[in-house]
This record gives sequence, C-alpha cells and structure tokens, in this order.
Amino acid sequence: MRVRKLILFIAICFATACGGGSGGGNGNGNAGLKVYKHSFDQAPSSLDPAQAATTYSNFIILNAYDTLYSYKYLARPYELTTNLATDLPQVSDDGLVYTIRIQPGVFFVDDPAFPDGKGREVTAADFIYSLQRHFHPQSRSQGAWVWQGRIAGLDAWKEAGSDYDNPATGLRALDDHTIEVTLTRPYPQFVHTLTMGFSAIVPREAVEHYGREFSIRPVGSGPFRVVRFDSARAVMEKNPDYRKVPVDLAALGFDPQLHQGFGLEQIEGRTPPFVDRVEVQFIGEDAARWNSFTKGDEIQFAKIPTEQFDTVLTSKNPITPRPEFAANYHMLPILAPEVIFMNFNMDFEEFGYNDDPEREERNKALRCAMIKTFDWQARNERFYNGIGRLFPGVIPPVVPEYDPDAPRDSLERDIEGAKALLAQHGWTPDNLPKLVYGIAGSVKQRQMYEQFRGMMGEIGYPPEKIELKQYATFGDVSKAWKLSQLPFVTKSWGLDYPDAENTLQLFYGPNGSPGSNDANFANPEYDRLYAQSSVMQPGPERTAIYRRMNQILVDNCVAITGLARTNLLMWHDDVVAYPDRNIVNGFWLPYVDIAEPPAATP
Amino acid sequence: MELLQYALRKLLSGIPLVLGVTFISFVLMVYFGPDKTYELLGKNPTQQQIEEIRHELGYDRPFVVRYFDYLRELVTLDFGHSDSTGERVSRLLLRTIPISLALVTPGFILGNVLGIVLALIAAYHRGGWIDKLIMTGAVVGMSISFLIAIIAFQLIFSSSYGLNLFPVRGWDVYSLSDYLRYVTVPTLATVFVALGYNTRFYRAVLVEEMTRDHVRTARAFGIPPAKLLYKNILKNSLIPIITRIMFSIPLVVISGSLLIESYFGIPGVGKVTYDAITTGDQPVLKAVVGLTAVLFVFTLLLTDILYKVVDPRVSLK
Repeated sequence: MRVRKLILFIAICFATACGGGSGGGNGNGNAGLKVYKHSFDQAPSSLDPAQAATTYSNFIILNAYDTLYSYKYLARPYELTTNLATDLPQVSDDGLVYTIRIQPGVFFVDDPAFPDGKGREVTAADFIYSLQRHFHPQSRSQGAWVWQGRIAGLDAWKEAGSDYDNPATGLRALDDHTIEVTLTRPYPQFVHTLTMGFSAIVPREAVEHYGREFSIRPVGSGPFRVVRFDSARAVMEKNPDYRKVPVDLAALGFDPQLHQGFGLEQIEGRTPPFVDRVEVQFIGEDAARWNSFTKGDEIQFAKIPTEQFDTVLTSKNPITPRPEFAANYHMLPILAPEVIFMNFNMDFEEFGYNDDPEREERNKALRCAMIKTFDWQARNERFYNGIGRLFPGVIPPVVPEYDPDAPRDSLERDIEGAKALLAQHGWTPDNLPKLVYGIAGSVKQRQMYEQFRGMMGEIGYPPEKIELKQYATFGDVSKAWKLSQLPFVTKSWGLDYPDAENTLQLFYGPNGSPGSNDANFANPEYDRLYAQSSVMQPGPERTAIYRRMNQILVDNCVAITGLARTNLLMWHDDVVAYPDRNIVNGFWLPYVDIAEPPAATP
Repeated sequence: MELLQYALRKLLSGIPLVLGVTFISFVLMVYFGPDKTYELLGKNPTQQQIEEIRHELGYDRPFVVRYFDYLRELVTLDFGHSDSTGERVSRLLLRTIPISLALVTPGFILGNVLGIVLALIAAYHRGGWIDKLIMTGAVVGMSISFLIAIIAFQLIFSSSYGLNLFPVRGWDVYSLSDYLRYVTVPTLATVFVALGYNTRFYRAVLVEEMTRDHVRTARAFGIPPAKLLYKNILKNSLIPIITRIMFSIPLVVISGSLLIESYFGIPGVGKVTYDAITTGDQPVLKAVVGLTAVLFVFTLLLTDILYKVVDPRVSLK
C-alpha cells in the first residue's frame, strides 16, 4: 500500500513537471509542422507592450501584436511601411493633426478574455486605449517618455485620474477604423514611434481579465500567438486568421545584389507567416548557445559568440567564414544601430561646470586630454573583435544624418597632444581629480575599466585616482546615473528609430538627470538647435543642424565617443531569412521560411 | 500521541526561527538589495515617474508595515505578483518547483545511494587499493567545478563535437522517454560532482562505525561481509547520513540548480530565484526565503522522527 502511494506521488510530481511552462502548451508535437528555432542571449521579463523596453521583448511583442506601422523587411536605409494602418498618415499643414485609417476585419486572437472566448475586431478605440495605458501608473509603463508632452491632453488626462472612458482630447476615434491624433507641437518622429512595441495594440478586455499577468499572456492580432513563455523560451504559433498579404519582394526592398544567396526569391507571391511554429530560446551562456546551434536539430539562429570568431572565420577584414561553415550556414555581419560611449557628468565641478570660469576652462582641457588619450582602436580590437565601426560624436552610421566626411580627430589617439594640453592648463598628477568609474558587476566591464585606467596612465593619471565602483545590478548603476552620483558614465544607447534625434536628445539640457541626459550637458546653442530641429521634417536643413549639434558635443569634449558594434549572425542554410533585428526588430519573423530538403534521388 | 505532541512542540519552536530568518532577509532585501525602481523606468524618466514606480512597488511604505505584510503573505501563501514578470508568485513557484524537483531528484538520489555504496566498499577495504581508487575518484569529483563538469558533460554527450546522444538544452517533457532524454546529462553532471563529496563524507562516517566494538564482535562471529556492512555498519551509521540528506532537501526543493537550469535551458525555480536576487524582485525573494525557512522547520521535525525510526533509543521528549 505504501509503495502504491509513493508511486502515485511520484507520478503526480512527474505529471506536473511535464509540459511545465506558463501559458500551458500543447505538447511538443512539432512533427509535421514547419518550426523555426531562434535564439537570444537574454530573456525578456515581460511581454506587455507597456514594458517593451528591450530588443528581446520587442521581438516577441511585435509578432504577437499589431502596430500601425512597421519597417520594410529588406530596405536599407530603413524605410517605414504600413502594418495595421492602410496608408501613411494624413498630416495637417501645421504638422499637428495625424489622421490614420486602420484595416477593417482584423481580429484579436481567440482568448478566454473575450465573451465566448472569441476574438473581436481591432478598432481605433483599441489604439487609443493602448496609448493611454502608458500614462496610467498601474501599467508600470516604460514607454511613456515616447509621447510625454507630445499628445494634446494626455498629461492632463493622467492628472484627471486616467479614466479610459474619457479619452485624452488629442486622441480620437473618428469611427471604428479612423484614428485622429493631435500633437502639442510637430513631432517628425511620431510615425516611427508607431512602429515600436510600446505602440502595440492591446484589447482592454485582456488587460482587465489577466491583470498583472497580462505581461505573460499576450492577446494580440499579430502574425503569431504566444502559447508558452518562461525563463528558458517562448513558443509562438502561427495565427491562422492573420490577414493575407502576399509577398511583393520589390515593395519590401529586395535588392538582388545585397540579398543574393539567402534564398529570399522563393517567398515571392506567397502569404506569410510561412512557419507554423517559432521557438525562441533564451540562452545566456555562449558555450551552450554555440553547442545548441551547431548540433543541427536545435536552434537555427545564433549571434556568434566573440570567442568563436577564430573558429568560424578565416579573416575578419573582410569577414570571411571558413569553408566548412560557409557550406552549412548563412552568415551576416550587421552594424548595430547604437552608440557606445562614455560621458563626463558636467554636474561634477571637478570635471564639468564650475562657478570659477578659469577652472571650468581647465576642466574642459582635462576632458579633451582624456579624449585624446583614449584609444578606440585598442578598445575595438580587445572587446569588439576589431570589427566595430568608429565614428565621431553620437550620430551613428546607420542613420541617414551620419556624416562620413566629418573630422575624425576625436577618434585619433594623441598622447603628446594630451600631455601638452594638461601641462598648458596646469594639470599635474598631484592635482588631477579623482574619477569614479561606475560599472554593473561583470568581468567584461571590469576589464574595460582596467584598460581605461591603463590608457589614462600614459598621460600620468595616477591609477589610484581612477577608482572603480561596482554595482550589483544594472538597475543600481542606472540609479547612480539618474541621481547624478557618478562623474563618469559608461553607456551604450540602442536607437529606438533611425533618426539621429534619438541620440542627440541624450545631451539636451532639459533632459538632464533623472532624464536621459546623464552628462547633464547644458549648452545654450545646442539646446536651441535641438528645439529648432525637433519640429523639423527630415531634410538637408535638419541634417545640417544635427551635424552642427554633433560637432558642438565634440568641441566641448563632453563625451568619449563613439563605436557601434558589428554583430555576426549565423543561421542554418535551410532557413530562408534575412534576420537583421536592428530597427526592423521582430517584423522580419513572418517572412521566415524553412526550405524543403531536396528530394531523394531514386 | 507522544509523536503528535512532539510535532506540535517542534513546529511552535520553529516560529522564532522563521521570524528571525524572514526579518533578517527582509532587512537585507529592503536596505541592501537592488533597487527595482530603476530597472522598471523608461529611458527618459521624470521625477514624478520615479515616485509612481516606487509607490507601485510599495517602497514608500514604512518598513514595519511592509514586514507585517510579508508575514501575512507567508501565512496566506499569497505573495502577490513578481515585480519582473508580473506572474503570480504562487503560480510561478507551482510551475517551476516541480520541474526543478524532476530535474534534480534523480541526481540527488543517485548521488547519495552511489555515494553510500562506494563509501561502504571503500571503508570495508580501508587502506587497500580499492579504497585508494575510490577516494582518488572522489577527490577528482570534488576538485572539478560544477560549471566545468556541466560544460564537459554537455560537450561529450550532447554536442555535435561529442557523442551527440542527448539534447543540448530544453525541457519538452511529455513522456517518460522525453524525460529520460532531457534529464540524463544534467543527472550525470550532478552525480559526478556530488559523488565526490558524498563518498568522502559517508566513508568517514562508516569507517568510524567500523571501529566500534559491536562490529569487531560481529566479525568474530564470522558474519558475511555484505550482511556486516548492511546490518551492523550502515544501519548504525544512519543518524549522520540522514542528517546530511535531510538538510539538503530544502535547498534541492526551493533553490533547484541554477547552473544546470541555465546551461540546459530548463525553466526551473533555481533560475527564477537567481533572477529575483540579481534584479531585486522582492515578492519572489520573500516567497523563496520564507518557504525555505518553513521547509527547514518541517525538515527538522521529520529528521527527529526519522532518528527515532532508525534508532529506538532516541527519545522525542
């Protein structure tokens, strides 16, 4: 009897452990299904569009939900296109009123949150609700900054108690399929913000039905529906009711030269999504990810770990794979839309602004000397395999405003020049100020600190004066930045949209701590130009202003800039895809296909 | 009746332990743990948004109120929602603990059973080459870090560079054969490392028992080796063995195995706990710490009862 009970207990435990994972699951039944297995080096913590702050969460959110706009799968430079919207918005002459039509007959997936479990049609009111959620404190939104102060009446709506039944004055549903958004001032990047995961359209019923757990139970109208999500993976299945739009490769930006060899021609005219199931594995450990990728029947896509570069490549310049890898895998080097930089916190009178004009001038000389001393080539070689792209200032090469002819002096190492500058302004090893270098605890960050300290040592900066401060988590170091507690901030900024405004705002005075301007840079000319350009449509005049602002940053020696990583992506050769997740993010996933194996020869 | 009274007394005496553990851990979480506020903020936050998040997280409430809330949550087993994922904590634990249990139980059982068997053999042949061979193996197991063992076993048994027999990672368990496919390599790695520590410990316990008078007497009576090892030595060594095994259980149940889960892509409670520690997810941490303390109290009780079972001389008074 006892033995029977024990067996029963073990059986119950086993049954519970089987199929473990949130959102249930329907068995591993991949047999007969077309399955694409992707991998990430981190797991998203939330799939609620209000918290779509990372590439990882965006990737899944953009496939579970609809946004009004997206980016063309293959077009480079990146180009906006419609998604749920029927056309690009009609904009009033003053640039303040946007009228957007959305497609009729689009339905949310079936879910218990709806009456009878049947998904209802997506309407203009859903978009308004979704945007307003960012301004409701209980949503814990990480995306309110995108529209804060930009949409008429939204801030007042929040102040008045965030009543969803009385929408903000600037958000109106003219009918079930027409949205009107009134801005407080022109916002040229507005349509870009409507491609972000933050703008994904959610049904109010599901938010209210699942409450806080809405973050793990997405209910959208996108090409896939999430059937399982936990710390190890997310599983999505094709949404059978997703709108049928056949692929027009030319319209998607297909370039026969650029995209040659990826097999993309075979999706022409077919209706996405092409795979029945997508499994996204979250694998933080490089060794495990590489083993899984090369195994053959597990993950089909991976970012190549740095330590595998020599195994995979015969040359890094140009990037050339070894024959055995070239034969079995596709490879794509992709320049990340980002800026890796270090800025001085101008709030610190030892390095930045000072009541004493003479000291302020000396501080500037010190910053400029440190910039001259920093060796970007060495940083690139040591930590980015020598394939990162260097550029002056904060306008990275992926945006149209990038200036390939801009002076590159700020990237060149000049030890003698730096020493002369220090001597000219009376800096000696004895009177150089202490610099606290804050990092979130990681070996790589620590190595970067040591490299930085070594470089500064070459101009006589005493090593004991460059002090390391380690924080347990990114949240803690972020807190130190936001509270302006660190004189030196090491950071990377991923672009939210392909417009240099997104990085230039990092130095806009009114965005000072706790805002995104961790440098607390406040330059009247820069701020004036930013304000002027922020309401201008893209064009040569705006580009000239952007470049002028970039030069102001360089001239003021406010930051050591800049680098963008080149990521090396690999995927199995039976996967038909162009998996560039930069800017396009998850929008490419519906176009992924798995090629049929060649028929056996009789 | 005596057992019931003892159990009640023991459980009551465990209350100060639980209070102490929860209080100290809560002080650490609140005053020394990561501040979740700045992970939940957007890229360009205002002071008002910072305050709203702090309010949502309950950080603006007095410490004492928050601590009593914690105790209430522990009693009702309702720890609210994870601050990271939003998932209800009770659901999160119910989902992940069985997976961790299924993952670590075979390694835990095999590691202990094989450890005892090898220790018996080594102890019986004390000083001989068999003993030395087993002890050398144990030292090797102890000397290799768990991380290295995991990577090596994964490479040897799962990857295309090795035997390619098992999956590198995953937990698609819907049948016994699935279970065996996914659990084998993690179990081998666990057993390899655990065996070293266990064999050395159990051997020391058994060797001490072998020097007792009753063992010498039994040998004089000509009792066969197997019977001697089982009845006269192992049974009389059970108190320290039970202690070691029982006190490992709460950690096995709640903490799981972070490294195993991370490397093999298994969504167990170890990874969840680690993430909660590093991100300051207080609702999850409170649940894990509180439940571990409660489990320890029950383990203490169960251990005492087992002492009585294996040694009738032990009194429960």
